[in-house]
Amino acid sequence: MITFEHVSKRYQNGSIALQDVSFHMGPGEMVFLTGHSGAGKSTLLRLILLLEKATRGQVFVNNRNLSKTASRQVPHVRRGIGMIFQDHKLLSDKTVFDNVSLPLIIAGERYPLIRKKVRAALEKVGLSDKEKAWPMQLSGGEQQRVGIARAIVGMPPILLADEPTGNLDPELSRGLFGLFRQLNDKGVTVLVASHDLALIRSMRQRVLVLSQGSLVDDIPGADIAGRSS
Amino acid sequence: MSLSSLRNRSRAWGRRQLYSFFSSLGTLLSHRVGTLMTVLVLGIAMALPLGLYMTVSNLRALDLQQEEWGAITVFLRSGASEEQAIALAGLINEGPDASAVTISPDQGMEQFRKASGFGQALDMFDDNPLPWVLVVTPSVTDGSSLEASVAGLESWLQARLEVELVQVDFKWLQRLSGLLRLGEALVSVLTAIFSLAVIVVVANTIRLDVANRAEEIQVLSLVGAGNSFIRQPFLYSGFWYGLLGASVALLIFNVCLYYLQRPLEQLLDAYGNRFAVQNLDGSAVFLIILAGGVLGFLGAWLSVQRHLRQIGENGMLGRL
Repeated sequence: MITFEHVSKRYQNGSIALQDVSFHMGPGEMVFLTGHSGAGKSTLLRLILLLEKATRGQVFVNNRNLSKTASRQVPHVRRGIGMIFQDHKLLSDKTVFDNVSLPLIIAGERYPLIRKKVRAALEKVGLSDKEKAWPMQLSGGEQQRVGIARAIVGMPPILLADEPTGNLDPELSRGLFGLFRQLNDKGVTVLVASHDLALIRSMRQRVLVLSQGSLVDDIPGADIAGRSS
Repeated sequence: MSLSSLRNRSRAWGRRQLYSFFSSLGTLLSHRVGTLMTVLVLGIAMALPLGLYMTVSNLRALDLQQEEWGAITVFLRSGASEEQAIALAGLINEGPDASAVTISPDQGMEQFRKASGFGQALDMFDDNPLPWVLVVTPSVTDGSSLEASVAGLESWLQARLEVELVQVDFKWLQRLSGLLRLGEALVSVLTAIFSLAVIVVVANTIRLDVANRAEEIQVLSLVGAGNSFIRQPFLYSGFWYGLLGASVALLIFNVCLYYLQRPLEQLLDAYGNRFAVQNLDGSAVFLIILAGGVLGFLGAWLSVQRHLRQIGENGMLGRL
C-alpha cells in the first residue's frame, strides 16, 4: 500500500530531513511513526501526500510511483488519502458541516449522499450536535475531531495523521486512537505520526522509529509491550 | 471508459459546477458592500459607452429621415401660374434624379396657419401672398451622392425663369452625418477602452479575492481539489460581477433616459413630430448583460490563472 525505497529528502538550505528510509506498509495495516521533534515524521507524511518530492529513492502509494506522478495527477492521489493535520486546517468561514463535506463536494457526490456521509462522520467523532457551528465556536479538541471527520468522511483507503493528539486531553486522545483502530478494522490503512509513546504502546501496533531523518527501528506490534523506550 | 463511468463523471462535474456557481454567489452576498462598490464601478464604466451608443443610434434614426430633410424647396416667382408649377414638377418627375410635389398658395397658407398659430392675423391679408412651391426630393439619400445630386438640381432649378428662390438646407445634415460617423467611431473606441477597464477592475477584484482566500485554496488543495475546482468559484464570481455591472449600467442608462426623454422629444418635435426616443430592445438588453458576464469571466480567468500560478510557485499551495 505504502512503500518507501531508499528515500532521502534534502532541502535547498542543505538540511537533511530523511536519509535512506525504506519500509513497506501492507493494505489494512496500522503503523505508528514516532521520534523526537525534527526526526522527519512530518516530512515522511508530506512525501506521501505529495507536498514534497523525494530527493532520492522512490515512494509508492497504491502501486503508484509518486516520484513519477505528474502535477495534474496530484489531486487524484490526495483524494485517496485522508489527512489529519496537527493544526486542523479548518476553514473559519464555513460551518462544521461545510468543512467536513469538502472532500465529498470535490468528488462531485450528490447532496443527499453528502448529508448522510457527513452526519455519519460527525457521529463517529461525537460532534453530531455541532454541524451548524463555526470552527471558532469549538474547543481545540472539537476542532481536531472536525478535522478527523473531514479526513474519514470519504472513506479513503489510506488515513494519515500528523500529531493528531497534540491538542487533546488524554481521554480524548485515547478515544481518537480507538477511532483509528475502528477504521483500521474496516480495512483502512492507517499511518499515525505521534510522540505520545504511552498511547502508542497501548495500541500494540507496528511502530517505525525515526531519528535525525533515519529509520532506526521497525518494531512489530507483538513486540511493542516489551520495549521500554 | 465505459458509458456509465462517463455519465457518472459528467454528473460529478455538473454537481461541482453547481456548487461553485452558488458558492461564488454566496461569497459575493456575504461581502455586500465590497460587491456593491465593484458592481457600481463596473456599471458606470459600462454605462458611458452604452449611453453614447444609444445617443448615436437615436441620431442615426433621425438621419434616416434625411429623405425629407434633404429636400429642396423651390419658391416660384410671385404670379407664376399653376400650369407653370405643374409643368416644372412634371419635368423634374420625368428625370431619374428627383421627384417633385407642388404646394399651391392656398395649401401653403393652410399649412402655415396650422403650424404658426397666426390664424387670425393671416385673415388680415386681402390676397394670399404665398407663391407656388415645389418640394423636390432627390432620389439619392446618402452622403456625397446626395450632395452631388442636390448641387446639380439646385443649379438647374436656379436657372429656370419661373423660379424665384431655391432653398437647400442640407449642409447641417452633412455635418450631422459626419458627427454621427465620428460618434460611431467614438463608441467603438470607448467600448474597447471601457471593456478593458471592466476586465482590469474584475481582474484586480479577483486578485484580492484570491489573496484573501489563500488559506481556503491551500486547504482545498490538501483535501484533493484540482486546479479547475479551485478556479471555478473565482471565474463564476467574475461572471457575476460582469453580469451585475451590466445590469447596473442598464439601470443607470434607463434612469438617465427617463430624465432626458421629455426635453429630447420636445427638441426633436421641432423637426417633424414623428420621432420617439429609442430604447434598447429585449435582445439588446440580453446581449449587453451577457457581454458584461463574459468580460467579467475573462477578467477573472486572467487574474486567477496568474495568481494561482504565483501561489503555487511560492510554495503556499498545499503546504502543511
